[in-house]
Amino acid sequence: MALSEHDVRAIAEYARIGLEGDELREMTAYMNDAVAMLQPIVDFDPKDVDPTFHPIGDLSDVMRDDVEKPGLDLESALENAHATDGRLFRVPSILGGGGLS
Amino acid sequence: MSCFDVLSAREIVRGVAAGDFSAEEVARASLDAIAARDGEIHALLQVSEELALSRARELDEARARGEALPPLAGVPLSVKDNMNLIGSRTTCGSRMLEDYESPYTATCVKRMIDAGCLPMGKANMDEFAFGSSTETSYFGKTANPWDTERVPGGSSGGSAASVASGEVTLSLGSDTGGSIRQPAAFCGVVGLKPTYGAVSRYGIVAFGSSLDQVGPFGRRVEDVAMAMNALVGPGADPMDSTSQECPVDFLEHLEDGVEGLKVGLVPALSEAEGISNEVRAAVRGAAKALEDQGAEILEVELPHIDDSIAAYYVIGPCEAFSNLARFDGVRYGYQEPGCATLAEQSEKSRAKGFGAEAKRRQMLGAYLLSSGVYDRYYYKAQQARTLITRSYAKAFERADVLLFPSAPRTAFKFGEISSPTEMYLSDMFTISSNIAGNGSISVPVGLGPESGMPLAVQLQGPAFKDRRLLTFARAIERAFEAEGSVAPACAGKGGEL
Repeated sequence: MALSEHDVRAIAEYARIGLEGDELREMTAYMNDAVAMLQPIVDFDPKDVDPTFHPIGDLSDVMRDDVEKPGLDLESALENAHATDGRLFRVPSILGGGGLS
Repeated sequence: MSCFDVLSAREIVRGVAAGDFSAEEVARASLDAIAARDGEIHALLQVSEELALSRARELDEARARGEALPPLAGVPLSVKDNMNLIGSRTTCGSRMLEDYESPYTATCVKRMIDAGCLPMGKANMDEFAFGSSTETSYFGKTANPWDTERVPGGSSGGSAASVASGEVTLSLGSDTGGSIRQPAAFCGVVGLKPTYGAVSRYGIVAFGSSLDQVGPFGRRVEDVAMAMNALVGPGADPMDSTSQECPVDFLEHLEDGVEGLKVGLVPALSEAEGISNEVRAAVRGAAKALEDQGAEILEVELPHIDDSIAAYYVIGPCEAFSNLARFDGVRYGYQEPGCATLAEQSEKSRAKGFGAEAKRRQMLGAYLLSSGVYDRYYYKAQQARTLITRSYAKAFERADVLLFPSAPRTAFKFGEISSPTEMYLSDMFTISSNIAGNGSISVPVGLGPESGMPLAVQLQGPAFKDRRLLTFARAIERAFEAEGSVAPACAGKGGEL
């Protein structure tokens, strides 16, 4: 079943990507093309095949010793933020009402 | 006096060690070549002159003190702009990260610099590595040095072009579905995607975490082998849980030859529809060259390989959607001013910070991971991955390496492929080894008689047998006398040493 512009707008809201102007129409066309390209996966009937979520397979994860070590210093961690307050990132109101929290 | 672009990495290292020229002179030659060539090519987004000169002076001072020099001392390097390097911005070719200052240095970049490389600059790329032509970069396209009306491939197009143009000797790229091998093929250079886990990804901006792998570009197989020694030599990286120990000297068996070894051809791939005649002939020519050197050529099957593209375009977008959710304009990245709520700020920052293809991939991933859809696509794609991996394992019971095309055709013209889903087919021969995780390399085999553009073939090997790939690649390089070619329009422009 083809995705409608209504469906695609809902996906955009979930992905937090605002679509403006012709973008909704173009994105809807793209999504339907892309989903059609993926049809072999829908038709795929694997029966009793375990999924492989990661190619590392049976190899071991690298685990470092569980000891406290310095990470990014505060200045580096905050240097790319647009709004900060002391040790914190500042963001607009989360629940509405305006202004920086 | 000659141009530094004729020198191999080994020749540069020897020259610096012998005092024929200083590392600073090499750095200045590379800067001069970049100034003369990159205006037309636009391989680099930033030139890190101070970082390069500073590293060069350290090496020259070490030599003056009589200290032993590291194995890549004085070799000019570019790195894809999704790799953090302190003292540079890491933009990912995106407006989203236009002003992002690297807060630390990626392990792979650090290891190359520790090994003596001179960090000359950050290479252009498709935005967040989404693309096969470097046309989606927010900062403009990169031209193919062999024909500036054509794309360099992607997503590591800037890396490949910076090496093919002779601006630098080595480059690092990343490969999620072919993003090292396809641009290497289009630009006539060697590009290796090592086995997943061989090279640390710490400090690389993630696209598809179960697919991404870092690897080197060079104009010679030996240069690429030297880069691999630098990348894996120090051992597994404790900062990347997927990083594995690879106690291998990639130079050790480079000249061993291929006598008695087995090369698998997969007729379903090398004779598939949509491949140009010259690419088809290139694969046959490479097989003949290996056979002439004593290798045995045999046909093998790779069942389920046809499902690779569909599986990839499920897994890749799902992982990209998850990875790129962090770009919300709060801690870093583009932020839309004047928003009343956090949700509005996030939506508008992402709308204006991301380009069209980055939005498309995330939208597809968001859909495929949504309730009721996941089971039909994502889970089954991972089951397909199991079968694809088993197919490879079975093929490698019979063959030491597999021989494929790197791409269905040579470099295409800008704007020639406008449909996103058609563009996705550019990676039809490369994607499967990202799905399975095994290593692959693209190696040049001369120019196409029809297109006049670089032709290449791809070799794929079993996991963690990347050294063997280099031995085969060297055998092909030897046969085609393809090593060291700088694109003719760039060769010798600036860069006197």
